[in-house]
Amino acid sequence: MKLTRNWLEDYLDIPVNTEDLCHQLTMAGLEVDNISLVNNDELIDIDLTPNRSDCLSVNGVARELRSIDKKYKRKVLNKNIEVDSSCENIKINFHIAEKEVCPRYGFMYLENVSSSLNTPEQIKKRLKSIGIKSIHPVVDILNYLMIDIGQPMHAYDADKIKGDISVRFAKNKESFKALDGNEYKLTDKNIVVSDDNEIISLAGIIGSEHCSVTSKSKNIIIESAFFKPKAIANKARELKLQTESSQRFERGVDFNLPEEALLKLRNILCENKICDFSDINIINQTENLPQKNNVKLDFNKIRALIGIDISDHDIINILSSIGCQIDKETSSVKSSSYRYDLSIHADYIEEIARLYGYDNIPIISEKISAHPIKKYLPFDVTNEIKKYFYNNSFSECINYSFVNNSSLENFDWKNNEFDKHHKITNYMSLEQNKLRSNIDSSLIKNIHYNNNVNSQNSYKFFEVSNVFSDKIEKVLTCVVSGDRYAEGWSLKNRKFDKYDMTSVVEDIARLFGLKKSEINYIIKDTINDKMHFIVLTLSIDDLINTIKKSPEEKFINYSKFPYIRRDLSFLIDVSITYATILKLIKKINVLSLKKILLFDLYIGKNVPNGKKSLAMGFIFQDKEKTLTHEQADLYIETILKELQSEFNIELRK
Amino acid sequence: MSGKTLKSDLKKVLEDASKLIKDAKDLSELELFRVKFLGKKSLLNSFMKSLSDLDGEQKAKAGKSLNITKTKINDLISEKKKVLSNSDVKKDDGFDPSMPGKESSIGSLHPITKTMNYAIQIFESLKFECVEGPEIEDDFHNFTALNIPDTHPARAMHDTFYLADNNLLRTHTSSVQVRIMDKENPPIRIIAPGKVYRKDSDITHTPMFHQIEGLYIDKDISFSNLKSIINIFLKSFFEEDELKIRFRPSYFPFTEPSAEVDIEYIDSKGNKNWLEILGCGMVHPNVLDMANIDSSIYSGYAFGLGVERLAMLKLGITDLRLFYENDLRFLKQFQRT
Repeated sequence: MKLTRNWLEDYLDIPVNTEDLCHQLTMAGLEVDNISLVNNDELIDIDLTPNRSDCLSVNGVARELRSIDKKYKRKVLNKNIEVDSSCENIKINFHIAEKEVCPRYGFMYLENVSSSLNTPEQIKKRLKSIGIKSIHPVVDILNYLMIDIGQPMHAYDADKIKGDISVRFAKNKESFKALDGNEYKLTDKNIVVSDDNEIISLAGIIGSEHCSVTSKSKNIIIESAFFKPKAIANKARELKLQTESSQRFERGVDFNLPEEALLKLRNILCENKICDFSDINIINQTENLPQKNNVKLDFNKIRALIGIDISDHDIINILSSIGCQIDKETSSVKSSSYRYDLSIHADYIEEIARLYGYDNIPIISEKISAHPIKKYLPFDVTNEIKKYFYNNSFSECINYSFVNNSSLENFDWKNNEFDKHHKITNYMSLEQNKLRSNIDSSLIKNIHYNNNVNSQNSYKFFEVSNVFSDKIEKVLTCVVSGDRYAEGWSLKNRKFDKYDMTSVVEDIARLFGLKKSEINYIIKDTINDKMHFIVLTLSIDDLINTIKKSPEEKFINYSKFPYIRRDLSFLIDVSITYATILKLIKKINVLSLKKILLFDLYIGKNVPNGKKSLAMGFIFQDKEKTLTHEQADLYIETILKELQSEFNIELRK
Repeated sequence: MSGKTLKSDLKKVLEDASKLIKDAKDLSELELFRVKFLGKKSLLNSFMKSLSDLDGEQKAKAGKSLNITKTKINDLISEKKKVLSNSDVKKDDGFDPSMPGKESSIGSLHPITKTMNYAIQIFESLKFECVEGPEIEDDFHNFTALNIPDTHPARAMHDTFYLADNNLLRTHTSSVQVRIMDKENPPIRIIAPGKVYRKDSDITHTPMFHQIEGLYIDKDISFSNLKSIINIFLKSFFEEDELKIRFRPSYFPFTEPSAEVDIEYIDSKGNKNWLEILGCGMVHPNVLDMANIDSSIYSGYAFGLGVERLAMLKLGITDLRLFYENDLRFLKQFQRT
């Protein structure tokens, strides 16, 4: 809502500078965005919240200022003078078919409008100050009155209208060409004003092109109606057509204004000798006007909820200052016709707090009873993991959840083919038309980006986020590329490989007292745009569930007797996994076997095709006595025999 | 060789030996001294050899003196040997303390994570419990249950992303309020951090951003309590006891009374400005009633923080879009724990 100080001074004595005035408005909830100098006047731009339609006029803001502070005194306004009509009433019949949504419809007929006339100077200047262009004297005056008192009105070229005028719902798919030049397809939810032939306006929103007032218009019909907020709400937005008028009607216009607006209009027309005018006609359906209900005040609740010590008397004073009617006997309150935001008790509490002044409300700590804190596991687990990556020189990324149709997107985080994406129907750009089913694509994109702008030899990125495939799941993905170590002066460098990611999984498992096999993860690599990426993804949701089920950390006693180590180095088929070997050894069940170490894996020169060379260390230790070398030899012999018979291994010398 | 000369010679040898042995730098030098004083070509050895020229008593006397000297030197050497082998005195290895180290293991956490964690820590110390809600929401939890009906003008304030199945991406973490109130009975004291989405993209808006929602529902909760918690949080977060904070009436459909909170900050030119930092208010009775919480018994407050805004102020970041570019020149600036 834009207005100027000079305009406000039509209504009020303002004994302070504009800055102080605006501070008071802001602190009462009418946030002033900006004050600027325009045409020797100060332009005030208020960022109104949608509940305060009563302040969508200069009169409304003035009224609000009076209730904020008594120092703003009301000026005695020039009463609307009764002027006699100077022309006959219009010969058109009005049918208000939808009295439920249009309980009040006022109109007036203007004759002999001269195209050579100018808009009155002050009106033109004020409109210009607030950024409204001058179009036509009559239209300008209507715009001016809308800003001045808050009643949107509409002017129709009377000579273009065929037959009677009615207020009705549109027919489905009925089309309408608005004065903005666009054609709109309507539904039976749109309330319209029409003549016998066609729609002449989308009620309360915009007029038709056909009946719009131009410099050639000789005779004009003025409409000053009340449309209920619900009939207008959303309609303009659905059609992507929001106007000053629709904004006011959908938020609520004082239903007492249509007549007052016409009276004011007549005064201006008469004073400036713009044209002849008829009597004012109002079609009323009083029982359909918005009903204001009585709310019983609970003074104690008001004090308790705000946390202030205020007397009943002061509460009543505040409510009276905003135009409420109060029945002291029953302690009930009723809001004025211009306040659409006051209907339940809480609404009145808000008004009392607001006008008491938020700054005046004391700061009082609540008493919180001490209770055991329930740790929120997902938050803690995620943070521990992030800390781990932080401590291992990874950089955390956060990417948008949206992605486009890149090929990297065609699988879920488990690397299964996936194409049933969660698509965004009203996306902003094709680059962001669906929700991502994995984080890989985002991080790979991040590495490409960084490789272009700050080339490095080693990239280590991670991100924790929800991904959206068949299941919506919180996952962790880390992507590495290039050298294992950032460029330095001493380390022997090498490329990242998948086993680097295995270490990460094992570390994460250890962080939570789990085994790698208990973690739902996947390690893969991919070549994208000439770069090699290794990707680890694990399900945080699954991890949390596993942690929930896992036992607490407890001490296990250990043997104090010396241990004996025996090593085996052997060739085995490449296809036999390490896990299979471990499984077999476990099955042999050597009780004194405390630990297995893998200290070499080699595939290549000097190893036959299809074979790999493994070197494993076995650590034996007895719980109750010192182990002898003979016993250790026996154990390793047993293990070796089993490995030979099961996997046909060949011992290396 | 007279007895007197020998005695003074031996004294001289012992003096020389003890001085050198004492100052020996390392074991190899010590070995050189051993050869010098006890070896075949040593003075002592030559005395030893000339013993045969002496007769009976003189020979015995001189031999004893020689042996005592030899033993003393030997003792000195073995003592020094012990000292040298126990100590870690090493040759200068050319260590240059100004050289960079070999490998750093410190990475970086995203400023959003850092800011969020910092805020959460403060609220946890104030006994709020952390919870999360879904990012894909239905119309009911995102709007209707928060007193934002279909026709409500506030819906125009949210530009919502819709999905093909008519669900939507939540436009605020306030939807978590509804989910928690569905499940739990008062007292409820939670914070809900997370991603939210709005169809907006320009210098000051990104289509995805982060919020932290707070909710406290109990008996006898007042706006005074809300002012208190926000004061404590903001002063803790900005580590500034004298932080100027103001509450301004505002409008949110799910709170009444509603407030926007500004903090005073001084811009680069030294001007004092008020900067909007969060929205809050007393939970609207319609919201409580819809969640089957009796609004005549219970009341509560709710607040919503914009994490990006907090991070920008705390860390001095001036461009919102930097958060989602994931440029290492940005990310690597946040290495502190």
